[in-house]
Amino acid sequence: MQHATDLTITRRRLLQVLGTGIGGVALAGPQRGWGQAASAVSAELPPFTGPGPNPYWNSVGPFATYPQKLPLIRLTDRPVQLETPRPYFALPITPNDAFFVRWHLDRIPNAVDLAHWRLRVEGTVRRSLALSFDNLLKDYPAVSLMAVNQCSGNSRSRLQRRVPGGQWGNGAMGNALWTGVRLKDLLATAQVPPAAVQVQFEGLDRGEGPEGRGSSRFQKSLDLTNPVLDECIVAYAMNGAPLPLLNGFPVRLVVPGYFATYWVKALTWIRTLDRPDENFWMKTGYRIPDTARGNTTPEAVASGQVHTVPLSSMPVRSFLVTPDHASKVPVGLPVTARGIAFSGAARVNRVEVSVDNGQHWRDAQLGEDQGRYAFRTWSCAWTPEAEGKQVLAVRATDERGNVQIDAPVWNPGGYLWNQIERQEITVGPAH
Amino acid sequence: MSASRSAIWWGGAAVACAAVALAAGAAQEPDRSAAGVYETGRLGLITQPDQVAPPVGPSYGVGPYPLYPPELAAGGGREVVERDCGLCHSTVYITMQPPLPRAAWQATVQKMIRTFGAPIPEDAARAITDYLAAHYSPETRVR
Repeated sequence: MQHATDLTITRRRLLQVLGTGIGGVALAGPQRGWGQAASAVSAELPPFTGPGPNPYWNSVGPFATYPQKLPLIRLTDRPVQLETPRPYFALPITPNDAFFVRWHLDRIPNAVDLAHWRLRVEGTVRRSLALSFDNLLKDYPAVSLMAVNQCSGNSRSRLQRRVPGGQWGNGAMGNALWTGVRLKDLLATAQVPPAAVQVQFEGLDRGEGPEGRGSSRFQKSLDLTNPVLDECIVAYAMNGAPLPLLNGFPVRLVVPGYFATYWVKALTWIRTLDRPDENFWMKTGYRIPDTARGNTTPEAVASGQVHTVPLSSMPVRSFLVTPDHASKVPVGLPVTARGIAFSGAARVNRVEVSVDNGQHWRDAQLGEDQGRYAFRTWSCAWTPEAEGKQVLAVRATDERGNVQIDAPVWNPGGYLWNQIERQEITVGPAH
Repeated sequence: MSASRSAIWWGGAAVACAAVALAAGAAQEPDRSAAGVYETGRLGLITQPDQVAPPVGPSYGVGPYPLYPPELAAGGGREVVERDCGLCHSTVYITMQPPLPRAAWQATVQKMIRTFGAPIPEDAARAITDYLAAHYSPETRVR
């Protein structure tokens, strides 16, 4: 079936170029290249990938335009999940209108009335707070931090065997400058007694399900002893602008270095608990095997022997942004491979590039240090010396010595993927 | 797949080239470019939404989010799927998935009922699982 379609397109293309040739313009000889290009007019990506791994950098959904957004790759529409296309990662900061979107439940806010919205700090506290947006702006010092926000399931479509869930390519991530108030300032005002053990975050991500189920409310919790709380920000600005509704207006939690599951959008309740949170999104969802890289096997899961823990910090990753699949590079042309890297554990201090599919590695040049939780841009000059398919690969290392390895990850949730990325580049003759 | 496509094309091009070379004679400009090739677009046009003025006062809103209901595979059980799965989420959640074996679909349907509390009776759950396995498994999925 697929073959027949290809044949049809090819014949049509052939006739077009033939027609052009007969009209007096040049015609392709077999050693020339232009007739080979696929038609961006009528040839479309397949609507799904699998059961093998998704071979594309992004997921295969259609482009769609959502409020306050440029056309992004739509994974789902109710609730909304949108992926950022690869070229935006050529930027050191991801624009708000290109930033990925992931909601869990379908009653997500279309509008927020700041006359009535209050951020509540409650639960096991000596003094409950109900803070207006204006209180956050005026009563607490503003702090800014650049940090990567990455979906726990980013790159889930790479896994073998494939697992159900949002079939993200690599674009469920973004880097922004977050501005807001320190979480610890709010907790200090509310005076948390020693009896409290966790702090729970809940936003306006709500669903149709029965009360008490994960289909009703989205809630995430962190231990009050977790040092990451000292770095958390309740952000009311993103890259110097209000947050788009789809990214969590009016405020969202920023948990630097941690996966986005904790970065609760439209944050409205901060609730200290005197016992560990047992709601679905902590006890069942967003958990990983307590193993190296979160790896396990379908067989181990089926046997019921896998011990799991909640997701937390992000493993080191790096991405090649350009050149990409659409580039055909003439041999001998100096090009610059570029991309980004980050790690939740520590500052990225080394990025290496291979131009021979991982056999040899050379150091890439690191771009400006935007902070330990931000994208670190990198670049690497490369002059292809041989025609044919060349495979570029990239790996990053952070200051704690965490380095990407060339091995896949598998767990039933489809989390923590960080295998070395590759890009096949076509190198053609220059004469 | 792309290799076979190239082979077909190059074979055709070689024949075509020979034919034109015969017709036009050998003393032509060098073949330096292909140009002027257009085709009516079937893909890729996304209409720009109008620039909507935000609401006045303390409300900050964007209006409705767009829905694009997918056309699920025709077959028995489709209506039950659209009704019951659609209670909490759009059925794009189905079409987005890779082909999944029956056991994975069954586990997913059971998760929706037992974990998330979806009010789906047992016979409907069976019909949904049968439908998904019949159209969205590695053996059966076509689009």
